[in-house]
Amino acid sequence: METMWLVTILGAPLAAALLLSLLRGRGARMAGWIAGLAAALSLASTFALLPALQRGEVPTLGFEWIPAAHIRLALHLDWLALPFLVTEAAVTLMAVVYAWGYHRPDERTPFFYALLMLFAVGMSGTTLADDMFLFYIFWELMLVASCALIAIWGEGERRGAVALKYFIFTHLGSLMVLVGLIVLYDATGSDSFSALRAGVTLAPGLVTTVTMFFIIGFCVKMAIFPLHLWLPDAHAVAPMPVTIMLAAAMLSMGTYGVLRFPLSIFSPAQMAPFAVPMMVAGIVSELYGALMALAEQDIKRIIAYSSVSQMGYILFGLGTLTYDGIAGATLHVIYHAIVKALLFMCTGLVIRATGRRRIAELGGLGSAMPLVGLCTAAGALAIAGMPPFCIFTSEWMIFSGGFHTAHLGLSILTVFGSLLTVAYALWFVGRIFFGARPEGLTVNRLPWAMVAPMVLLAAFALIAGLFPAPVFDWVAHGLTLILGGNW
Amino acid sequence: MTGDVWVVLPLACLATGGFVVYLVARLLTSRNDLLALVTALVFAVALVALAPLFLITRATLRTAEGLPAWGHLGEGGAFLRADPGGLVVAGVALGLGLLVALYSGRYLALDHRYETYYPLLLLLVAGLVGMVLAADLFNLYMFCELMSIAAYVLVAFRRRLATAIEAGFKYLVMGSVGTVIILMGISFVYRETGTLALPQAMGVPGRWARAGMGCFLVGFGIKSAIVPLHTWLPDAHGRAPSSISAMLSGIVIQSAFYALLKVSLGLGFPARGLGTLLIVLSLLNMTLGNGLALVQTHTKRLLAYSTIVQMGYIMLSVGIGLRCDVPRAIQAGFFLLLAHAAMKGLAFLCTGVCHFYCDATRITELRGTATRLPLVAVAFSVALAGLAGVPPLAGFAAKWFMLTGGVQAADALGYLGLVAFVVNSLLALGYYLPLIGTLFTRKTSEVSETSEVLPQIRISPWMALPLVVLAALVLILGLYPRPGLALALQAQAFVFEMLR
Repeated sequence: METMWLVTILGAPLAAALLLSLLRGRGARMAGWIAGLAAALSLASTFALLPALQRGEVPTLGFEWIPAAHIRLALHLDWLALPFLVTEAAVTLMAVVYAWGYHRPDERTPFFYALLMLFAVGMSGTTLADDMFLFYIFWELMLVASCALIAIWGEGERRGAVALKYFIFTHLGSLMVLVGLIVLYDATGSDSFSALRAGVTLAPGLVTTVTMFFIIGFCVKMAIFPLHLWLPDAHAVAPMPVTIMLAAAMLSMGTYGVLRFPLSIFSPAQMAPFAVPMMVAGIVSELYGALMALAEQDIKRIIAYSSVSQMGYILFGLGTLTYDGIAGATLHVIYHAIVKALLFMCTGLVIRATGRRRIAELGGLGSAMPLVGLCTAAGALAIAGMPPFCIFTSEWMIFSGGFHTAHLGLSILTVFGSLLTVAYALWFVGRIFFGARPEGLTVNRLPWAMVAPMVLLAAFALIAGLFPAPVFDWVAHGLTLILGGNW
Repeated sequence: MTGDVWVVLPLACLATGGFVVYLVARLLTSRNDLLALVTALVFAVALVALAPLFLITRATLRTAEGLPAWGHLGEGGAFLRADPGGLVVAGVALGLGLLVALYSGRYLALDHRYETYYPLLLLLVAGLVGMVLAADLFNLYMFCELMSIAAYVLVAFRRRLATAIEAGFKYLVMGSVGTVIILMGISFVYRETGTLALPQAMGVPGRWARAGMGCFLVGFGIKSAIVPLHTWLPDAHGRAPSSISAMLSGIVIQSAFYALLKVSLGLGFPARGLGTLLIVLSLLNMTLGNGLALVQTHTKRLLAYSTIVQMGYIMLSVGIGLRCDVPRAIQAGFFLLLAHAAMKGLAFLCTGVCHFYCDATRITELRGTATRLPLVAVAFSVALAGLAGVPPLAGFAAKWFMLTGGVQAADALGYLGLVAFVVNSLLALGYYLPLIGTLFTRKTSEVSETSEVLPQIRISPWMALPLVVLAALVLILGLYPRPGLALALQAQAFVFEMLR
């Protein structure tokens, strides 16, 4: 039974993608519904596995694939993967629903939804894979699918160049990860994660090299300064549903990678030399992203830079190497996904309603679109870490993790750095929804499919902040898995 | 003439087939599709005739008896010997030949002159099969010449085009220099040992033998496009009919590389030295090939440079394996050889379809392929993504095996090679991805600046079938590499047998 759910998580979107590619133009009208159904099924099967996890079981599926090279095909859901899997599946569902309103059906629509589904398969496969070969296949599938979406459905003439830049940049990170994987594979003689969990012995120099490769490789995916160069362009050019999936779900895969590889394989003592570099990179990214968000004119790019900044918090939390910091970082992944998806949806609605993207040309929309204004305000307050919204909890944990370390100066710097976040978030809301409305700014009607997920997410942001216990429970389980009794 | 008749059967099929096809073309019919069918049939029969050899060699490898051989030459010498590695290369050549023959059933309508094309294609593969199975230097040389001459003529097949003649002539000159140098090497070796048998216990090679080996390295280096002896390749592979380019890039130069391995190791060239040399040369192949591929404007020339790069990958993997005695790396090299035959064959066949229907030879002219020829756009993307090493395609599996095998060697030069490999595989995205992007870009006409909506073209099943088969193969080799790995293991085992 559990195996069936496990297969459904990947199988439903995969089957939908195949079906849509076969239907071609004939499926233009149904495409959105098929994709939505598949995404919902995928999410439902994730939740169906929750009781088994709570009983202490580990749903697993595995068989021999390439025995000659000791490669198994294995899927596996544990507490570490669960938060990421749930985030990814939920974001996909929201993005697909949003796409119903965003995307006008034409003969290529089925392929659009098929690629969205493949993108989702790539992400959930990455979290579920229990062997390196499969992990890397899904990891790259995520890139290939999203890159194709940007290259074909992106906005503006530069989409081809942006997609190329995105691919090459991210692939560079992937190759670094691949090198790390290969070294681990060579050391254990097997590509299974279970062999890794049992322990790896590497020469000390090699441990440093491999960890460095992993961290840099995953930081490209997380878009940490100065490896973030692909992000603003890719996010700004991608069609909005894809941007939502990129920002809310795909960025977090980098965090998952850091947790899954260096942190759970190597001991705290082996990781210790990386603590300060990770914290410093986190702070730099946090400040840089926030400053760029303040300086940007294009509203989509503002939110894109905000991701760079938020990923900085996460890296800082991971870098503290404390229970609180890592728990906070994992929580932050989930909450950031909710809030970032919310903000991008609001941005998309503003662009759809007014046809304008430059913040200087916007203003006074609060009276014309009160619901969107309210939700944006909720998102902005949430991202600024205002209680009772969800991000407050995770930032609290991250900062507290920072103060557990010996580096008080860095921790204080992060806390004050978050002031900049408040600045751009409030400025963003104020500039768009308050003040005088510029000449000739008209507001179009908005489709319900774009508004509904936004309202839902705004509600989530509040509920998750008021009742953080269940989600925190999942994360805590995951952490005992990595950290064991070591910390 | 004694020995196992199975060994000579595939070769006999191809050679007789060549004459039969010529006679059929002259006397009975000159219909392209019929001739293509007959040629494909000959390839199929040869492939079937090759199959028992796989079983026999597997059995003899287990029992450690001599491999099946045919012919008589001095003490225990033979003309042909079914060595397991050669069988793998020959099998790939026959399989690719079969698909190319079917493909030509429509493609060759561009050129007519069927009565020369099909026999030459058969002779090309006959020479190749003979070369990789030859058991002595004389036969190896003869078959190498047969293969080369067929290849020269086929490259210059479009004789109305001055560029094709030029490319063919360049290939002829450089290739002949290569074969002459090989011949000189053979004479040096003969002077030293007095025998032409191929695996010969030479002990420590003397002065003449060492000179001979240098000659083999240069001669086969030209044939397998090892930089800096590659200059003929972009012209030849870029100007030949696409079906022929698929054969030349897919398997012909790799077979010359296999012959190089077989000769050098068979004559007792120290494996460590050879491995080191191959690694160093592979660095040149990868870097130079990539650099030049980035600036190409013609699709086929780009693919030709990409062949030089991929040849570098194969050399690197085999080189690491030889230098550090790591069987897995050599196996990975042979796996890449298989995968590359499918990927590059597919890529060239796709350019051929674009040329045939849309008259597109430049990269920019490929715009709008996705709307006009959707199947080709998909198959071409599969081939290019495979060459770029994107999972889950064959190229990625090969990359994975190469890296895992190479890391096992734990050797400084090997690591250098692997770093160069990783960097180059990133660089290569710089030309594969824009090409894929171009396929899916809509065509804009210069006059109206609006998107031209061109009708979809139905492509002939003669061309569609090979494309579908090869694209499926690229996917299957990536997702389920077991059969490919088994073949590669067989070739690797033989190479290591020669080292002992």
